[in-house]
Amino acid sequence: MDRLQLPKLNFWLAFIFIISLLPVLLMNFSELKSFSSSLLSLHTIFLSILIEALPFVLIGILIAGFIQIFITEEHIERWIPKNTLLAVVMSCFVGALFPACECGIVPIVRRLIAKGVPIHAAIGFMLTGPLINPIVILSTYMAFGNNLKIASLRMLIGFVIAIVVALLVSLFFKGSQFKNSVALQPVAKDDKQTSFITKLINTCKHAVDEFFDVGKYLIIGAFLAAFVQTYVSTKALVEIGDGVSSSILVMMGLAFILSLCSEADAFIGASFSSLFSTHSILAFLIFGPMIDLKNTIMLISVFRLKFVLWLVAFVAIVVYVSLFILSPYL
Amino acid sequence: MKFHIQQAVRAVILLAFSAMIANLHWTGELTKYINPKYDNLSKTAAILFFMLFLVQLTRVVSKTTQHCHHHGQACCSQHDHGQSPFTRKKMLSYFIVITPIITGFFVPAKILDAAIADKKGASFILAQQSQNSKIEDYLTSNETIDENIYDEHEPDPRLMEEKQEMTKKQYDRLKQQLSQQTMLKMTDEDYTIYYEEINHNLANYLGKQIQLKGFVLKEEDFSQNQLVISRFLITHCVADASIVGFLSEFVEAPTLKEDTWIEIVGTIGQTTYDGTILPVIQIDNWVTIEQPESPYLYPINIRMSF
Repeated sequence: MDRLQLPKLNFWLAFIFIISLLPVLLMNFSELKSFSSSLLSLHTIFLSILIEALPFVLIGILIAGFIQIFITEEHIERWIPKNTLLAVVMSCFVGALFPACECGIVPIVRRLIAKGVPIHAAIGFMLTGPLINPIVILSTYMAFGNNLKIASLRMLIGFVIAIVVALLVSLFFKGSQFKNSVALQPVAKDDKQTSFITKLINTCKHAVDEFFDVGKYLIIGAFLAAFVQTYVSTKALVEIGDGVSSSILVMMGLAFILSLCSEADAFIGASFSSLFSTHSILAFLIFGPMIDLKNTIMLISVFRLKFVLWLVAFVAIVVYVSLFILSPYL
Repeated sequence: MKFHIQQAVRAVILLAFSAMIANLHWTGELTKYINPKYDNLSKTAAILFFMLFLVQLTRVVSKTTQHCHHHGQACCSQHDHGQSPFTRKKMLSYFIVITPIITGFFVPAKILDAAIADKKGASFILAQQSQNSKIEDYLTSNETIDENIYDEHEPDPRLMEEKQEMTKKQYDRLKQQLSQQTMLKMTDEDYTIYYEEINHNLANYLGKQIQLKGFVLKEEDFSQNQLVISRFLITHCVADASIVGFLSEFVEAPTLKEDTWIEIVGTIGQTTYDGTILPVIQIDNWVTIEQPESPYLYPINIRMSF
C-alpha cells in the first residue's frame, strides 16, 4: 500500500519543512528566540493531541482487529438491511450508541467496509459515532451552563445531517472506495477449530498491523493541527465572521482546523457563544466531530482522494445549508 | 528459525510508546499535556501498547519462513504485515512513527504562554465572557451582602477532594457563600467557580477585595496601565486550552513584561471594553512570583443527578 501514497507524503513533509524553515532565514536574534519558543509550544500541543488521541485510537484498532477475526461476511449480510434508507438509519443509530472519537473510528470503518458493509452504512456509522454519545452529551450540557437546549439540538440536528450525508453518499458512490493500493481481497474464513485464545492473539496481531498503517497519519494530522494552533490566529478568523452565512462558515472552518476531540470541543464552542449566535456555534459543534483536519488525513490514508473530498464537501454543504435554513428558529 | 527484523522494529516501537507514556507519568510531566482527570485513559494506552508489544514478540521469530501460516491472519493483503521488503519509503513511515517517541522523551514540555493566548484571541474571549452579567440585580442585592462579614471562608476540604468534583447542591451552596464574603481568595481549585460567579453576577461583588495569581497578558488596544492577569483552563489537553482572567489596572503596569507571573490583591470594579461591561481589578498590592508547579486550571466537574 505504500507505493502510491508515500510520494505524496514525501512531498508534503518537504513542503512543511521548507515553509517552517523560511522564516528562520529572515530573523534576527530576538525573533529567533521567540521562534524557538513557539516551536516548543508547537511540540507541546502536538504531543498533547497525540496523547489524548492514542487511547481512543488503540481501542479503535483493537475493535477493528476484533471485527476482522470474529465477524464474518455472513454476519454482516444478515445484519444490514438491503434497503438503503433502512441501512443508513440503522447504521446512524448504531453509531449513536457507540462511543468513539473521530480518529479512533477510521480503522473500525475501514474494517467494516472490508467485511462487506455497504459504503453508505459505514459512513453513517462514522458520522454519528463521535458526535452522539453520553460523554459528548454530558460535556455539552455542562459547557453551556447546564442548559439542555444546545446539547439536544446538537444531537438531533447532527443525527439528521448524518442520515442525509449517508444517503447522498449512497446516491453517488458504490463499492468500497478504498484506494487502489488498499485493494480488497476475499478474506479467508477462520477455521472452526481455532481456539478462542488464538483468535484473541490474532486480534492483537491485526491491531498491531492496523496501528502501523494508521499511526503515521494520526501523527501527521496531529502535527498539522498543532501547527495551525501555534501559527494561525483565531482572532483573525473570528473577525471575518459577521453575518449569518459568514459566521457559520467561520465556525466550521475553526472546527476543521482546530481538530478538537468531540468530548472537549463543547467548552471551546461555549467560549464563542456570545461572539457568535447559536446556529454558528451548532455548526462548530456538529461539523467538528464529523470532519476535521486530523481525521481527513486519516481518511485519505484509507479512501480514494476523490471520495474523501466529496465526503468532506457533502458534510460541509449539508451542515451549512441546514443551519442556514434553521437559523431564524434557533 | 527465522528472525524477522521488521517485526522486531515494530515490537521495539510499541514498547517505546508504552515507555514514553509511562515516563511522562513518572516524571509528572503528563499534567503539562493533559488534564490529570484523564490520567487513567493514558495509563490504559500505555498498558495496551505493552500488551500489543508482548503479542508482537511472538512474531519476531518464526519456526518456518512460510508466510501467512496463521489462518486467522487469513492472507489478507489489505494491510502491511511487516513482511514486505524494507524500502526507503518504509523507512520514512517508521521515522514518522518514531518522531513523537523521541521528542516525547527528550524535548521538555513548554507551558503555554502569552504568544499562544494571542493566537487564541484573548481579548475577544474576555470581552464576551461577562456578557451575561446581570447588572440590573445590583440594586436589590446590594443591601443584603453585609450579613456575614466575618465568616472567613476556607475552601471546604470535602468539596475539593482530589478529583475536582462536587455535587450540584454543594456547588450552589459554595456560590451562595461566595457572595457573602468581603475578601475573595482565589485558589486553583475554586478559581473557576469564583470566575464564573463574578462574571455572571458582577453587581454582587463590586467593591470587594480579591486575591489571585496569574501571568501577565497585554493587548494592543489596552491603555498603558491595563493588563490581564490570566490563566489557561484545560478541559482535556493543552490543545483545547482557553483563557480565563481579569482585566486589571495599576500604575506600574508598563513595567511588567508579558508572561510574568504575579500575585495581587485588589478591588473589583467594572468597566466597558468593546461595548461589554466586564469586571476590572484595581490593584492595591502586587508581587512577582515564580511560575507555579501546576500553572493550568481544570474545570470542576459537577456531578449531575438528572
